[in-house]
Amino acid sequence: MLLLAIVAVTTLAANSARQLRYMAVAFFGVSLAAHLIDDGTLAVSQILISACAALVASAILFVAARDRRFGEDPGWRLWLATIVAAATTAAAFAFLRPETGDEINTNLLGPDPSGVTTEVAAFWLLSSGIAILLTARGAVRGSLGALLMLTGTQLLVRMMPGPELALTLLLSWLQVVVALAGAFLIVNQRAAREA
Amino acid sequence: MIWIIALLGAAALFAFSVRKRLALVGTVTLSALAVAIAFVIALPMDATGAVLDLPWRMSELGRLAAVVLLGTLCLLVLAVWVEEPAYNFFPTALVVAAAVLAVLVLTTPIAIYAALLLGLLVPVGSFTFQVHRNRSAEAAYRHFSFVALGGCLGMAALALSASLGRDQPPGTFVLLVVILVVAFALKLAAIPFHTHAALLASEVPAPALALYFGVLVPTTFIAFAQILVLSGLLPAIVEIGKVQDLLLGLGLTSALGGAFLATGSTELRRVAVYSVIANLGQSLVGIATLSGPGIIGAMAIALVTGLAATQQLLAAGTLERRAGADRPSATTAPLAALAFVVGGFAMVGAPPLVAFPGHFFVELIAYSYSGWLGTALVIATLGVLVAQLRAAMAVFQATPDRWRIEQRPIAGIVGGLVFFALLIGGLQPDGFLRPIAAFADEFLRALHPL
Repeated sequence: MLLLAIVAVTTLAANSARQLRYMAVAFFGVSLAAHLIDDGTLAVSQILISACAALVASAILFVAARDRRFGEDPGWRLWLATIVAAATTAAAFAFLRPETGDEINTNLLGPDPSGVTTEVAAFWLLSSGIAILLTARGAVRGSLGALLMLTGTQLLVRMMPGPELALTLLLSWLQVVVALAGAFLIVNQRAAREA
Repeated sequence: MIWIIALLGAAALFAFSVRKRLALVGTVTLSALAVAIAFVIALPMDATGAVLDLPWRMSELGRLAAVVLLGTLCLLVLAVWVEEPAYNFFPTALVVAAAVLAVLVLTTPIAIYAALLLGLLVPVGSFTFQVHRNRSAEAAYRHFSFVALGGCLGMAALALSASLGRDQPPGTFVLLVVILVVAFALKLAAIPFHTHAALLASEVPAPALALYFGVLVPTTFIAFAQILVLSGLLPAIVEIGKVQDLLLGLGLTSALGGAFLATGSTELRRVAVYSVIANLGQSLVGIATLSGPGIIGAMAIALVTGLAATQQLLAAGTLERRAGADRPSATTAPLAALAFVVGGFAMVGAPPLVAFPGHFFVELIAYSYSGWLGTALVIATLGVLVAQLRAAMAVFQATPDRWRIEQRPIAGIVGGLVFFALLIGGLQPDGFLRPIAAFADEFLRALHPL
């Protein structure tokens, strides 16, 4: 539960940041906390790969900023994104939570084998990402939204049966490519605006 | 198979490092693509394997689509190399080739989806050019947003459906399938999710546009059908008619809307792009009928439309560039104009090209589904026909005293090659339709598992 709280707070920090560099650092915090949520199926190799990808993605955005002041003021979009994300998370959890009949047993620090914490974190990240992406004016917040959505997706993929290491690798590559494409767009939009 | 995908990836890295040395990068790109095509042809049918427990299989459809799509990429690379050098295009084409191969051979739905997203995101670099003078950066950003939004939603829906037990309430699966369908509609630029495609059509370079609509959009459609088969969601679609209705509605809206928008367009690129959207709408209707002929027709239309789009968009780019500030005209590039016109035959599904059977099957099965559905599809085809005729008449409006073939007529040559390939396919359609029919069998078996 503590990691879930960290995910929520760092998502809000990334969402409210006016500077791209702060946004990149906050995203790394979100991603790290999300991947450390233990649902009883965690493997060290997967955590390492996901953390590396998150670090590289954050570094790409950090470098793309070029100076510490560059960014995008969220303004009213911050509140809209937060309210929409909170409402959508609750709705998604109510509609899409599997009906297993198992008792939900969460605690503050230990693992959560029921998967509730992972699911809530995934739904929160997906809905925050959607809200940020849909209200973004440019590539700065657009990239953040896309990366948050992808992190949420990674958590959901982790819960399904299948070739876990291969999927972790594939999604980590995808995260780096999303960051690269986002950074490319940020640089180009900035060049177009400053011309 | 993994080695050939790795080879394409390595070639992309090399091409990126030498991207400004045109002769070298062009040769390396074409050679790598040729090796990949040869390897795909030489690979035994139904060859299987696994990479890190990720299984792959070379199916009949996979082989056909790989040859068609990698061949299209070869033509695009040739056109860019000879006529309109764009340094970023060569590594992009190689990464797209690797992603296309991965999509066609992987058998895990999430992995197919992730590979597709990689392929769809990479061309962002080729979409932007001279950002001070046009809105290509905005168009690329919209494409990025649509792909990220649709991609993550679709993958999340797939992951959830895979982790849920089959004893969940039907409403849960309906919601997940609806999310998956909308996610693919976003990436296929199906109407009403086509706004990014409209901006792309007017702002990005023609070869990059051809890469998207000629290679990536057909790949996305094939991935959609494969994911439906492999995810185990098809029985849920059959049981709950609402999802089938949603697919039919989306397809019909795209078919009619695309045809309507194409008819109203005056720009050649827009005519080509909206014709693609109209044809993909027909393909969606074909899939939505959940019948053998519908599925065969849908896949055939998607593949042939990709080829026709490549032909028309390259020709449109050449005509626009040669015309400068004036209206595109056949007087400046007659071979390119001819390529645009013959591309229109494939777009409307005219016989004897191999484009005909696909349209015929889908419209036939639509009539058997309901009279108004078949009529609507015929009206959509007529709309595309009118749009193509208007575009052809506009291009050939002025006639010079003496026709003179343009210098370096690469768009015309590409158009001619595509036309003859489609003609040969039309004369012996069995070779083209049999692999698609094999896939339709798999689709129908997944629809009603024993």
